[in-house]
Amino acid sequence: MSHAMVRATQLDLDTFAAAAGLHPEMIRRLVALGILDATRDSSGRLWFARRQLAVVARCQRLRAGLGLNYAAVGLVLDLLDRIATLEAALRGPRRPGGQ
Amino acid sequence: MAADRDFYQILGVPRTASQDEIQRAYRKLARASHPDINKDPAAEERFKDISEAYDVLSDPQTRRRYDAFGPDFRQVPEDVDPETWRRARAGARAGAGAGRAGRGGGSRFSYGAGGDIDVEDLLGGLFGGRAGRGWGPVPGADQEAEIELSIEDAYRGGRRSISLAGPDGARTLDVTIPAGVTNGQRIRLAGQGGSGGDGARAGDLYLVVRIAPHPNYRLEGRDLHVELRLAPWEAALGTSVAVPTPGGEAKVTVPEGTSSGRRLRLRGRGVPNPRGKPGDLFAEAKIMVPPRPSKAERELFEQLAAASDFDPRRRQ
Repeated sequence: MSHAMVRATQLDLDTFAAAAGLHPEMIRRLVALGILDATRDSSGRLWFARRQLAVVARCQRLRAGLGLNYAAVGLVLDLLDRIATLEAALRGPRRPGGQ
Repeated sequence: MAADRDFYQILGVPRTASQDEIQRAYRKLARASHPDINKDPAAEERFKDISEAYDVLSDPQTRRRYDAFGPDFRQVPEDVDPETWRRARAGARAGAGAGRAGRGGGSRFSYGAGGDIDVEDLLGGLFGGRAGRGWGPVPGADQEAEIELSIEDAYRGGRRSISLAGPDGARTLDVTIPAGVTNGQRIRLAGQGGSGGDGARAGDLYLVVRIAPHPNYRLEGRDLHVELRLAPWEAALGTSVAVPTPGGEAKVTVPEGTSSGRRLRLRGRGVPNPRGKPGDLFAEAKIMVPPRPSKAERELFEQLAAASDFDPRRRQ
């Protein structure tokens, strides 16, 4: 059962919703809006990587703190990811440290 | 908390500002210091202050009450006339003056449990409570701070005390630096980031390592570069030189016929790597001549010049 190994690191919809403190329907909507990434198994069930919990939290903070709508939240999440990638490249190992 | 700071000052607007100006100032400041956009640990606190100030000033009703009663306005019952309040406060101060000087006539309008009301309670926490609408507790945001290390610190690792802005003023963290960190590497301190709402878990704090310039070493990733100064005869004849490294002296064998710029590599003598191959040490030859040769040196160099047919400008 090799796919069971993969699932162990993934959360199903209900577990994920409970961990995020949200209603599963809300999670479904966030997936439909492209804010959360989920994979669908052969029986159509949604599975989430644990790190998507951080995305939910960020989404909530942006909604609550800046009053963004979901389209804007999606955009901001994408831009923040791109900034993180660029910043990581900037401080990459090739940058000389001394003198 | 910005307990003693003026809400107008926090938003950077005059007391006469229109609702539009207040809104504009808030939007700009909120965008700049939102904990997901600004990873500075101090930003979260700033964001809370800004939000609290805007909460009060954006509603004309509460703004009027804030203008009339000041920071204590939440302790003043709805139906109190500002003039009466001012007189009562003045009276209370002029009177016995004992006890609750700063809080003025609090006892005159006693209600409920009395005492100070925690604004935090009223707002129900920044995130979570206010987010309402079906959101559960919201975990805190990740934060980032820079930590400057010397090459020796990075080489050896060890404990470091760092001071960061926090919800209750500066806080000090004891951090264990793993041996062999490199420039730009991030050290994760789980749960030391932004605080979560309603008891949700805090975010993580990432310390971004910045390695300070060093007078003797230059660092490239985990490779260490040092200058290896040689006398002309050492370079010509070959020798063995002790080179200082952050991990103690290393012996470099200089082969005969070494010119300036030649790099001699000592494999594995650079910065250690906790997860793999350590860096290398590169000693770069730099030939130095006596700035004021003695009589004997001059004679010997003259002899050498006469005897040698070496031409450094001839291409091989």
